[in-house]
Amino acid sequence: MTLGRYITKRLVEIAIVFFVILTILFLLFRLAPGDPVSRMVDPNMTASDVEALIAQMGLDRPIGIQYLAYLKSVIKGDFGHSLHYGEPVAAIIWDRLPNTVILFTSSIVLAALAGVFLGKVASWHKGRAADSFLTVGALVTHTMFLPWLGLILIWVFAYQLGWFPINGMMSEEIWMKPESGLLLKSLDIAHHLVLPLATLFLIHFGGYLLIMRSSMLETLKEDYILTAKAKGLEERVIRDHHAAPNAALPVVTSVGLSLAFSINGGALTETVFSWPGIGRELVISVTALDYPLAQSCFLLIAAVVLVANLVVDVLYAYLDPRIRY
Amino acid sequence: MMVSTKATAETPDLYPPANRVRAIAQNWSVFRENPLGRIGLGLLVVFCSMALCSFIPPMVDPMYHPMTGVDPHILSSTGPSPSHWLGTDFMGRDIFSQLLAGARVAFLVGVSAAFMSILFGTLIGVFAGYWGKTIDALLMRTADIIMVLPTLLMVLILASLFGQLNMWIIVLIIAFFRWPGVSRVIRAQTLTLKTRPFIEAAVISGASHTRVIFWHIMPNVLPLSFLYMTFRVTSAIIIEASLAFLGFGDPSAVSWGMMLQWVYKTGHMFRAPYWLLPPGICISLITLSFYLLGRAMEEVLDPRLRGEHL
Amino acid sequence: MPSPILKVGLLEEPKSLNPWRSSDAWSSRILSLIYQPLYIRDPESLEFVPWLADSDPVYDDAAISYRITIRDARWSDGEPLTSEDVAYTAELIKAFRIPRYYANWEFVDRVETPDKHTIVFYLSSRRATFTTRSLTTPIVSRREWEPIAGPLRNTDAPLPALLNHPLERPVGSGPFSLVEWKRGGYLHLRRNDRFFGKGRTINRRLLGPYLDGILFKLYGTSDTAVLALKKGSLDMFWWGIQPGYLKGLAETDHIDLHSNEKSALYYLGLNLRKPPFSDIRFRRAVAVLVDKDFILDRLLQGHGVVMDTIVPPGNRFWHSAHVPLHGKGLTRIERAKTALGILRDAGYRWEVPPRIDDRGIRSAGRKLTDSKGNPVPPITILTPPADYDPMRAQAGIFIQEWLKSIGLSATAKPISFSSLSEQVRVRREFDAFIHGYGNLSLDPDYVRSFFHSRFDRIHGRNTSGYRNPEFDSLSDLSASTMDRGDRQQLLHRMQRMIAGDLPWIPLYNPHIIEAVRTDRFTGWVDMPVGIGNWWSFCQLKPVDRR
Repeated sequence: MTLGRYITKRLVEIAIVFFVILTILFLLFRLAPGDPVSRMVDPNMTASDVEALIAQMGLDRPIGIQYLAYLKSVIKGDFGHSLHYGEPVAAIIWDRLPNTVILFTSSIVLAALAGVFLGKVASWHKGRAADSFLTVGALVTHTMFLPWLGLILIWVFAYQLGWFPINGMMSEEIWMKPESGLLLKSLDIAHHLVLPLATLFLIHFGGYLLIMRSSMLETLKEDYILTAKAKGLEERVIRDHHAAPNAALPVVTSVGLSLAFSINGGALTETVFSWPGIGRELVISVTALDYPLAQSCFLLIAAVVLVANLVVDVLYAYLDPRIRY
Repeated sequence: MMVSTKATAETPDLYPPANRVRAIAQNWSVFRENPLGRIGLGLLVVFCSMALCSFIPPMVDPMYHPMTGVDPHILSSTGPSPSHWLGTDFMGRDIFSQLLAGARVAFLVGVSAAFMSILFGTLIGVFAGYWGKTIDALLMRTADIIMVLPTLLMVLILASLFGQLNMWIIVLIIAFFRWPGVSRVIRAQTLTLKTRPFIEAAVISGASHTRVIFWHIMPNVLPLSFLYMTFRVTSAIIIEASLAFLGFGDPSAVSWGMMLQWVYKTGHMFRAPYWLLPPGICISLITLSFYLLGRAMEEVLDPRLRGEHL
Repeated sequence: MPSPILKVGLLEEPKSLNPWRSSDAWSSRILSLIYQPLYIRDPESLEFVPWLADSDPVYDDAAISYRITIRDARWSDGEPLTSEDVAYTAELIKAFRIPRYYANWEFVDRVETPDKHTIVFYLSSRRATFTTRSLTTPIVSRREWEPIAGPLRNTDAPLPALLNHPLERPVGSGPFSLVEWKRGGYLHLRRNDRFFGKGRTINRRLLGPYLDGILFKLYGTSDTAVLALKKGSLDMFWWGIQPGYLKGLAETDHIDLHSNEKSALYYLGLNLRKPPFSDIRFRRAVAVLVDKDFILDRLLQGHGVVMDTIVPPGNRFWHSAHVPLHGKGLTRIERAKTALGILRDAGYRWEVPPRIDDRGIRSAGRKLTDSKGNPVPPITILTPPADYDPMRAQAGIFIQEWLKSIGLSATAKPISFSSLSEQVRVRREFDAFIHGYGNLSLDPDYVRSFFHSRFDRIHGRNTSGYRNPEFDSLSDLSASTMDRGDRQQLLHRMQRMIAGDLPWIPLYNPHIIEAVRTDRFTGWVDMPVGIGNWWSFCQLKPVDRR
């Protein structure tokens, strides 16, 4: 099967899965005990207020009809209105998405790069001090509890040392002044980015390091490496130009396979640091029982994960000609 | 957690029925020699004893009850002292007894969720491998999808729907989303076993499907299942702790994640290191111990890994 | 030299600046600086003073009408604020049945505007709460809202569409107007030079505002906000400070603590629909066992008042000081003995009776049965989770222990806040729960809505299921009694009835303690709602640095 047909087949599958998830979520939320509006009731709403609101929001219509209405609006691109903000869900998500992308991609990319580089170094010094140090370090950081690591970083670097802000994405004083330029604002965001990025980075790079290390050790036993050695090539060249690129492939797959784990981590990090991203919004909307928003945040994340997996698979298939589906 | 690249579908069939007992004894000695496995086991023993000892403090004095312990003299967060080894939380409850109770909850949640998920996973994997064709395709596709989605977020959404959460519902939900990993491996193992002579013999002699599955295939895949249980335990503990940290845990249970949520939400993050540090250290160490254990067991089952020590 | 900007910390981001949404506390705080009502309360006397209005309303009993004249005022966009806007606000609320406000306006038959500064409201029946609940509605601009509401009027679902309308630039008549709301970041408000009170003396106070603007910063947790306050990045944190921070703050330079008694009620709600709380004598025994002074001392650390009746003592005019008390001033042992006496007289029996002597409770009893021989079911006390409100959770634990000490099987159970609301107000399956109203109106009409049998329904506020025809008629009368003195008598009688029948056991009312920096601004005004009120924001002045 050619790559093109494979991609198309997978995309169709993804669309089907997406709709299945959408339907399941819809049913779950509608069938949950209690009605959504009564959960947003504030004590000053009278019972008749609530009933009027429920009727007007169409929450008392039969489920089948609600489902069809929902599908129709999704196809049109309308994901409903947040029960708590009152704004269109799409607008809220659009606003939060870039923040998550900045944090998430930078941390995963940095972690993967660091993992590959340090894993390579560790495998090369196998059995010696550097290897033990790196391996133990990777083990320890990888198994730490993410929210707790975040709190510790805040405590040490933001509270005690005062080097970084405690939470949030921007310094209000800088952003509210019209004369602050783009450079200043970007530096401000970067300053706020350091601690959350460090948290995600520390948790992830250890895993990649360990995978890279075992992968390197395997690769170094391969025939073509022995051939290269026999040919008299310099060790460093063998290591960096022959072994490492191949050994790095499992790390690439691993990024894809552990995407779910990374996303969990992303949501936790955003919550601890009050970073206004999609993960945090999902947690807030679930706490507030804001179903339209929670549903859509989750759908977005699911779509991203499914597509990302496709990308990783394709990348792997492209890089390793032995694999074809 | 990171998926191990070693545990693939090529795990050799190590348990021909006749050699089971000898195999187990042999594996145990390999396991014991692995230094990281020993560390993992050691840590686990520490946590086990913590869990078992968690029943002691309330018996010593009711004020040491982790949830309702009312110290007559202290009603705010104080540091370590002779009567409270790790200090007290914002309501004056003893932190050390909370830590012990947390160990109990961690094991309860971790082991039950892991057990249930491998139960589901094994059954589904065996069915998929045995029946093959459409059932196989359907089950494995579903497994793929569930595996790819972020468990914590799915559990979160379900947790919000149930409203009134208790520990067992959390366990069930976690188990419900964690079976795919196991089922893949079990399915592969089943496929290998299906072609073995003793299975064919059973089928020819007229054994029903149920008998073949439960009497012949299951016992051979179970050791693999248990290996996978170690990985599932960690992820269950982390998910429960994350849920509790976010505020979705069982409010009437004291878990380490819950302790972290209390220290965070009640504003003691900066003022009470004696409260902030212990629960996080415990969660991290128990994760580490199961991870090390898992890797050690992998070495045991896959001789190619031996001598590598990670 | 421009006045500096006041930096205020918020615990959560406001949800929406649409004033009609069933808003959370944070949105309401910001909106209160933008949209203004006709009357607000004086900080000391707590009486109503004209705000947007220029004098007290004139009541005509024959026509059941109120005549109100408003000041010369402009909207922040420069357009004049006229009686048309006031009439429009009332009409909008009625036409769309806007939640929270509709109940206060549905009995208004028609509104006339004889001239640009006069409005006459005609009611269909006498309402004691019109001046106190309806005239405090914020007034909106017809020019801003009719283009939004007009097209919605004949659609299928006008109300949700109105509530969902995103308002980017609210046009108000208040002391400040919105400059920018950066989601996830901050809100920036600027002084509104067209504010009707600017430079005026209202209620003997000369109003500014003297601030150039207000910057609202978002903090995820209390401790980060308190830290910011200490460091000087905040001038005021707009939320109550928990007792644990007080010592540290009191010792910090340039920080002042303001303590105010709120109009609030935290209580133990009981389910009268089933045993054991269906028996009034059982309720009385439990009331005796609850040691409110202990709760005040240990939980609130003295920062608050004990509540013996539904209306807080700070609400001097309406509060009834002479209500039946249960166990006031008794020691633990005396309480236990009294409670035992009450239960025994009511016919309750233990299989193994508790033993109490002068040194203490020797043993709790076991297997309590009522006068008919049925075992008393175990009681579950529902509370919010400990991190949501440690006081309520802990109070639940205390009460659990007190009940257990004489053999009543009780368990305090923390559950999520939304489950609590659902179980209590929707499914109505519970024994007891601890809840609170943090911001009760100063008008005591809530006593009626908490206990009138009509409100004993799904979503209704009568969560205990109290049904007393005598109370019903008293409270109905109080809602339509226009003479303040007469109404006061009725409300005192209602409170005495409730304190005797105990559908709820009032517990405590915590003080609200707020912290401000003193080195940049001065002039905070104390009120039951806290220092974040209109008078403060209109009177705050930068500190003279010379």
